[in-house]
Amino acid sequence: MWKFTVRRLLISAPQILLLSIIIFWLAKQMPGDALTGLIDPNISAERKEEMREQLGLNNPWYIQYKDWLAGAVQGDFGESFRYKMDVSELVWQRIVNTFWLSLVSVFFIYAIGLPLGIISGRYNDKLIDQLITGYTYIGFATPIFIFGLVSLWVFGFMLGWFPTGGSVEPGLEPGTLEYILSKLQHLLLPSLAIALIGTVGTVQYLRSEIIDTKQKDFILTARAKGAPERRVYNKHIFRNSILPIAAFFGYEIVNLINGTIFIEQIFAYPGMGNLFIESILQRDFSVVTALVLITGVGAIVGALLSDIILSIVDPRIRIK
Amino acid sequence: MSKSLFGKFLFVLMLAFMLLIAACNDEGSEEEPSDNEGDSSEQSSEEGSEDEESSEEEPESEADGDQIYSIDDFSEGVSNDGEPIDGGEITYGLVTDTAFEGTLNWAFYSGTHDAEILEWFDESLLTYDENFNATQEGAATFEVDQENSSITFTINENVNWHDGEPVTAEDWAYAYEVISHPEYDGPRGASAGFNLLEGIDAYRNGEADSIAGIEVVDEKTITFHYERLTPSLLTGGIWGYPLAKHIFEGIPIADMAASDAVRQNPIGFGPFKVESIVPGESVTMVANEDYWRGAPNLDGVTIRVINPNVVVNELETGGVDLVSTFPVDQYPANADMPNVEFVGGVDQAYTYIGFKLGHWDEEAGEVVYDPENMKMGDVNLRRAMWHAVDNSAVGERFYNGLRWNATTLIPPSHPDWHDDSIEAPTYDQEEAKRILDEAGYEDVNGDGMRETPEGEELVINFASMSGGDTAEPLARYYIQKWGEVGLNVQLVDGRLIEFNSFYERVENDDQAIDIYQGAWGVGYDVDPSGLYGRTAPYNYPRYASEENDRLLQEGISEEAFDVETRQQIYSEWQQLMVEEIPVFPTLYRSLLLPANNRVVNYDMHSDSKSHGVYLHELGVTQEEPAVAE
Repeated sequence: MWKFTVRRLLISAPQILLLSIIIFWLAKQMPGDALTGLIDPNISAERKEEMREQLGLNNPWYIQYKDWLAGAVQGDFGESFRYKMDVSELVWQRIVNTFWLSLVSVFFIYAIGLPLGIISGRYNDKLIDQLITGYTYIGFATPIFIFGLVSLWVFGFMLGWFPTGGSVEPGLEPGTLEYILSKLQHLLLPSLAIALIGTVGTVQYLRSEIIDTKQKDFILTARAKGAPERRVYNKHIFRNSILPIAAFFGYEIVNLINGTIFIEQIFAYPGMGNLFIESILQRDFSVVTALVLITGVGAIVGALLSDIILSIVDPRIRIK
Repeated sequence: MSKSLFGKFLFVLMLAFMLLIAACNDEGSEEEPSDNEGDSSEQSSEEGSEDEESSEEEPESEADGDQIYSIDDFSEGVSNDGEPIDGGEITYGLVTDTAFEGTLNWAFYSGTHDAEILEWFDESLLTYDENFNATQEGAATFEVDQENSSITFTINENVNWHDGEPVTAEDWAYAYEVISHPEYDGPRGASAGFNLLEGIDAYRNGEADSIAGIEVVDEKTITFHYERLTPSLLTGGIWGYPLAKHIFEGIPIADMAASDAVRQNPIGFGPFKVESIVPGESVTMVANEDYWRGAPNLDGVTIRVINPNVVVNELETGGVDLVSTFPVDQYPANADMPNVEFVGGVDQAYTYIGFKLGHWDEEAGEVVYDPENMKMGDVNLRRAMWHAVDNSAVGERFYNGLRWNATTLIPPSHPDWHDDSIEAPTYDQEEAKRILDEAGYEDVNGDGMRETPEGEELVINFASMSGGDTAEPLARYYIQKWGEVGLNVQLVDGRLIEFNSFYERVENDDQAIDIYQGAWGVGYDVDPSGLYGRTAPYNYPRYASEENDRLLQEGISEEAFDVETRQQIYSEWQQLMVEEIPVFPTLYRSLLLPANNRVVNYDMHSDSKSHGVYLHELGVTQEEPAVAE
């Protein structure tokens, strides 16, 4: 397995390099730059030109890419034009928030998805299965930002159970118990909103996989041996049905790091998705390229993680 | 059987939802332009406000579109005149779907939201009246010496930084030195207050160590020597924000914007002190008991970011007491929110249609007005296009009367300067047709559309920006109206253009654009030469004339220190623009701000530098915010 992992990592390096070139080039093809939006007669044209020169925006894209790459390999992604701070520091601030949101979301996704999938598969075509399947259809059909808004409205504003925005109560001392609890409380509603929608794929995969496995010969054998029903389901069927879910897991994490834009905006939660959209619209190139790179690396690592998990769960898959 | 029917139904349902998702996704790309308010004499582009007003919650706001409102019915201040309780805290909502940048210093900030936070804890040494003239009410009083072209300021004895150090003349001079320094990378430092200082060029080039025109007389007195005086100096041209030298002295200028003194522990001398900051989402402040106007009524203020989609809910539940902006298109549906009162005023902005009349000469740094070779060069054609559109109807139908027909290029937000006696073309299709007929724009090939006097096909290409629910129907409306008088107007590329592309193309005089729709926010200073002067890159129509040059020049001459003379000059200029029509204004805008019923001493101008109620007077009449039942 080590060989396999190392080989995957070696392939990843040129992938990431190519990705960074494409992204950098594409980013530069966007009309305008960070200064285009600065339409203000108090900023003279000369001053803007000077700033462009200072920022190196007048160089051809490959020169800019070279400069950027030279910094990037040393962990220096430049400075954000908009935030006037180091990109790495800015991203770090945001990634911490997103990490916690993702972690709690993933937890809920599996905490909700696995039991529902198992029940649904075990009792397929019974009433309970139809209810669960109905829920998954609604989940598939509901756009996340609508659901986010509605749940915020119901649980945040009408019932007042949860805070309505931000990642923590303003004014608390970081590190105190109160602070941590407040963070957790702020995470609950957005992560539940993500999980309730995001989990439907898991439920469906697991359901069809279980129904499929149920009819396999070895299950018949297990039953014939006299294994109790619980053992049949929990050991034989579940373990075999979990494969596609495991394959999904790596990607799931990557998706969560990037894919929470709507939720982040609605809950005024300063995370990565928000930052990404903002920097694209404002042509804050140094941030955009850094984020895409992180995403790209994340996707590759996610795929790797999936493969590793798969090979643990299913020895047949291990590639020689 | 029923099952398969159910399946089909489900399929259709999901298809419908997919369309919904696709349709809604466009909204995801809302943008927030860096709406840069520079020095207090800002004149920034306002294209973004269209976006702020869009809301996914209420796409059909026109459903309640029957009710027409008028800004005249709004009061500028809250009606609650109860006695404020001792203490109390309020929450201020920063309405945005992005995080705030956190560059919390007047010299370095670039986003509007940072400025909205800054208002609470740091202020200008100068205050301004309703016509944006500097007054003697501020933390510094001044004396103008016309003879020597200098202005002397005296800072109030009681003005101290939050750490107790006095705010000194030295600090003020230091702000000028930092902003004008070659290593300074922020956007400030181009207003008259900098450019006219004696010896500023030598300092900017690095030839001098200090600015010769700044004379620190004593600890609290400073004299600025200018090459000449202009009225612009006292209408926002002077940089009024000192920089705490004792804190910033040790930090290299290039690193200041990223330093802790700006991002973590910002300092000011305003009514509140920053206590803690959660980057991008909230700031808590406590009262500055040592505030020079007196201790604030409130004990503290919490500022937090809220999404435009939930503003109404936050207001209803008392989650916020005040907000930075309120989407005007959500007003009709929420006009009678029981626990909130709306105050309103005229926004310092106007929307306009611009005509491309020349190009920008990069070498010479000035516009080349070239009407002979431009499609829109004939002023009669432009006047007819103004007559052809009904902006009153646009204001009522699209904005419930909260925007209304504009007449001149100086909006009524500057009451002393806006000349409402000027008669601008109004909606009159017959008049438009008559003008076009007379000017020789006639339909010669019988296709229903007019040709040029030379008999060539006339297709006018119209550039309009995307963003917001009304952008598309509004552009279509104008095109339709122009079509009705026989003018063939087409959208550039057949669609609306994204913000960055739009300004890049308009700025570079893209040949494909003949006319465009834009908006300007106007600054404190009424002087329009930054937008319509011969040497202004932002003169997008590329219009210039000697008469225009003369009027703009006179408007900032020493004679113009006399208000009546200056009014006369700008009236003439407004008249000239109505006759020459390089652009025509379409709509003036209103600005609405909600306040919880418990808030007292609050009005449209409740910031530190205007004539309104000062922030330290702001108070509440009960501990808890009023909640809608």
